[in-house]
Amino acid sequence: MTSAPSKLYADDVSLLVVSLDTNPFFWSTFSFPFSEFISHVLAFFNSILLLSQLNQIVVIATGCNSCSYIYDSSSDSNHSSEAVGMPALYSNLLQKLEEFVAKDEQLGKAQTPGAIASSLLSGSLSMALCYIQRIFRSGPLHPQPRILCLQGSPDGPEQYVAVMNAIFSAQRSTVPIDSCFIGSNNSAFLQQASYITGGIYYRPPQLDGLFQYLSMVFATDLHSRAFLRLPKSVGVDFRASCFCHKQTIDMGYVCSVCLSIFCEHHQKCSTCGSVFGQSQSAANL
Amino acid sequence: MPEVRIIAKNFMDMVASMPAMKLDNLYENGFICEAILRSLPPLAKKYVLQMLYIDAQVTAKSLEEWVLPDGTSKHRVAIDRLVQLRVFIETVDRKSEKSYKLNPTFQRSLQNLLIIGGTLPREPMPSNITVRLPTLEDLEAYALEQWERFLLRLISPNQVERPSNISSSLMKVFQRQLMIQRDKEAPRLTESGFQFLLMDTNAQLWYFIREYISNSEARGVDAAELISFLLELSFHVIGEAYNVNTLTDFQRNIIKDLADLGLVKLQQGRKESWFIPTKLATNLSVSLADSSCRKQGFVVVETNFRVYAYSTSKLHCEILRLFSSVEYQLPNLIVGGITKESLYNAFENGITAEQIISFLQQNAHPRVAERMPSVPENVTDQMRLWESDLNRVEMTEAYFYDEFPSRDAFEGACDCAREWNGLLWEDSKKMHMVVKMEVHPYVRDYLRRQK
Repeated sequence: MTSAPSKLYADDVSLLVVSLDTNPFFWSTFSFPFSEFISHVLAFFNSILLLSQLNQIVVIATGCNSCSYIYDSSSDSNHSSEAVGMPALYSNLLQKLEEFVAKDEQLGKAQTPGAIASSLLSGSLSMALCYIQRIFRSGPLHPQPRILCLQGSPDGPEQYVAVMNAIFSAQRSTVPIDSCFIGSNNSAFLQQASYITGGIYYRPPQLDGLFQYLSMVFATDLHSRAFLRLPKSVGVDFRASCFCHKQTIDMGYVCSVCLSIFCEHHQKCSTCGSVFGQSQSAANL
Repeated sequence: MPEVRIIAKNFMDMVASMPAMKLDNLYENGFICEAILRSLPPLAKKYVLQMLYIDAQVTAKSLEEWVLPDGTSKHRVAIDRLVQLRVFIETVDRKSEKSYKLNPTFQRSLQNLLIIGGTLPREPMPSNITVRLPTLEDLEAYALEQWERFLLRLISPNQVERPSNISSSLMKVFQRQLMIQRDKEAPRLTESGFQFLLMDTNAQLWYFIREYISNSEARGVDAAELISFLLELSFHVIGEAYNVNTLTDFQRNIIKDLADLGLVKLQQGRKESWFIPTKLATNLSVSLADSSCRKQGFVVVETNFRVYAYSTSKLHCEILRLFSSVEYQLPNLIVGGITKESLYNAFENGITAEQIISFLQQNAHPRVAERMPSVPENVTDQMRLWESDLNRVEMTEAYFYDEFPSRDAFEGACDCAREWNGLLWEDSKKMHMVVKMEVHPYVRDYLRRQK
C-alpha cells in the first residue's frame, strides 16, 4: 500500500534556486549585454513557473562584494501588488536587482580599490544551500530542489576552500548544482561543482539563443533527467588552489594530516599546525 | 491519489476528444493552454517547452534522439498525449517519416503568456465598490459548507434542514449517474454514487464537473465553451471580486450552478453584483496535475474495530454510517464500530473494502496519521477477508465439450486449450472438458482441422 500523502507532490515539482551573476566588472567588458541576458533568463523563469503551479524559483544575486535574495516566487508579497500577471511579478525582481547592484557598488567603494574581477560564488552557493535546508526541514513534503548557477565572471581562487565546502555539502544533501557558464573560458569551480553533485555543466556556444539552451537543458526536472539525453561534461578541470597564496596550481605540497594544499614547502602546516620534515631535495643540499 | 489522476485524466480525454476546430479555438486562450500544459506528463511538458520557439518541423527521429533508451516508453506516451490533444501536429511525408510541429495557435498563446504575460478577461473590482468582502477563511468555510450541504443532499435528501435551492440542471446530473429513482420510491444512490462519496474532495469535484459537462452537452450546450470557462475561472485570484456583468449570458447561467457547488460566492451590492472565486475553483487546474491540498483528517480507528470521528459535520456521520454502525454521537465526536454486518451493507451497495480503507487512511486524524500504518493492520486485513468471503465463487464464461471421437482427439484438444491458457477443467475418463469462452474458437478450429 502506498501511503497517500506521498503523492501530494508530483514527481516533477521542482524548487530552482538560481545564482545570478551581476558582477559589473564582467558585464562591462562582455560582448553580450546584461539587459538581453536578463530578458532571456526572465522568460526562462516564466517557463519554469508555467510548467507547474507548485514549481518555485528563488533568485540570489551574486555581486563582487555581497549576495542577496532578490526574488522568491512563493512569497506572498508578489501577489499582493496591484498589478496581476507575470511581467508584473518581475518588475519586483528587477527593482530588487537594481537596489542590490547599487548597494553592492557602495560596499565595493568602502574597500580597497584592488580590482576584484570574480563574483562571490561561495556566498551565493551557501545562501542557496541554507534556503534548501530550510525547505528540507519544513516537513516531509517538499519540491525537489536544485541549484542553477548563471555565471559569467572568472573563478576567484581565493574562494576555493569555501566553494569546495559548499559543493561537498550540496553533494551530502543530494542537491545537484547545474551551471550555465557564459564567460569565455570554462570555470573550474563550476565544472567541479556539477561533476561532484551530479548536475549539468554547459557553456552555450551562442548566447543569442540563450533561452533555447536554458529551456532545453536546464529546465529539465530531476525526474525526467533519468530519461533524457543531456549534455555530458567533456573534461573537468580538477586543479586546486593553494591555501597559502590562493593560486591555482597543477602540482603542490599536501599536508599529510589535514590535506591542505600549498604551492611551496613550509615548515609547519598553517591549517592544522603539524610540523613537516625536511623535503627530500632540501636534505640533499 | 490515483483517483484524482484517473478522473482528471478522463477529463483531459474529454478535451482531447473534441473536434479539431473547437480545440484550436480553445487554444486561443492562453490560460487554457497553461492548464493543458500543466496536466501533461513531465516529459511532454519538457517537449512543449523545447519546441516552443522552433517553427520548423522536427522529425520523429530527431525527437527520439533526445531520450535515453530507458525513457523510450515514456517518450512514446508523451508524444501520443501531445498528438491526442493536438498540441503537437503530426505530419507524415512521402517517405512515411513522421515529423512534428507545435500547434501554431497553442504556440502563439503560450509564447504570449511567457513574454507578455496573461491577462484575464476581467479585472477585479475596486474595493470601494465592493464594501465587505469575506476573508479568505470565511470563503474557505463557505466553500466547504456549500460542498458538504450538496453532498449531504445526495446521501440523505430528507436530512437537509434548509431547503437548498439546487437548480434542476444540477439535480439532473445526479440522477443521471449517482442516483436512481424508481417510481414512487425515494431516490436511492447507485453504486457509483456510494463510491463517489468516499472520494476526496478534488476527485469528487472533477467527477462532478465531468458529469456536468457531458450532461450539458446532451442539453445542447457547447462543451468547449464550458470547459474554457471553468479552466479560466481556475486562474482567477481567490477572494477577489469580479463583476458579473463581465460574463456572457451563457457564463452567467453557469455561475449560478457553480455557486451552488461552492466554487464561487455570489454577492449583491447596491447596484452591481459580483462573484468571488473560492479555493475549490482555483484548485481545479492544480488537481489536474494530481496534487491537491489535503485537509485535516478526523478519524481514529482502533485495533478493536472501533471508529472515533472528531467531527461536527453531518456529512461525515452519514459517510461513516455507510460502512460502520454509529453507536453514539456527541457534539464533536462520532463513535461507531466496524462490524461484519455493517461492512456487508457497504459491500451490497457496491463499495469495496479498498475504498473504505483508503477513505480511512486519507482522513486519518493527525495523531494517528503519523503512525504507519494509520489504520491498524488487523482491521484492514479483516475487512479484506470479509470482502473476499463474499467472492468465493468466481464466474467464468465457458464452453463444455464432450463426445470426443477418440482419446487422441480429446488429448489434442486439451493440449490446444492448455496452450492458449484456457483449459478450466478436464475429465480424462469420461473425455469431458471445459474451456474458457475466449479460447473456444481456437479449440473449435483445431478440432475441425483434425477431421
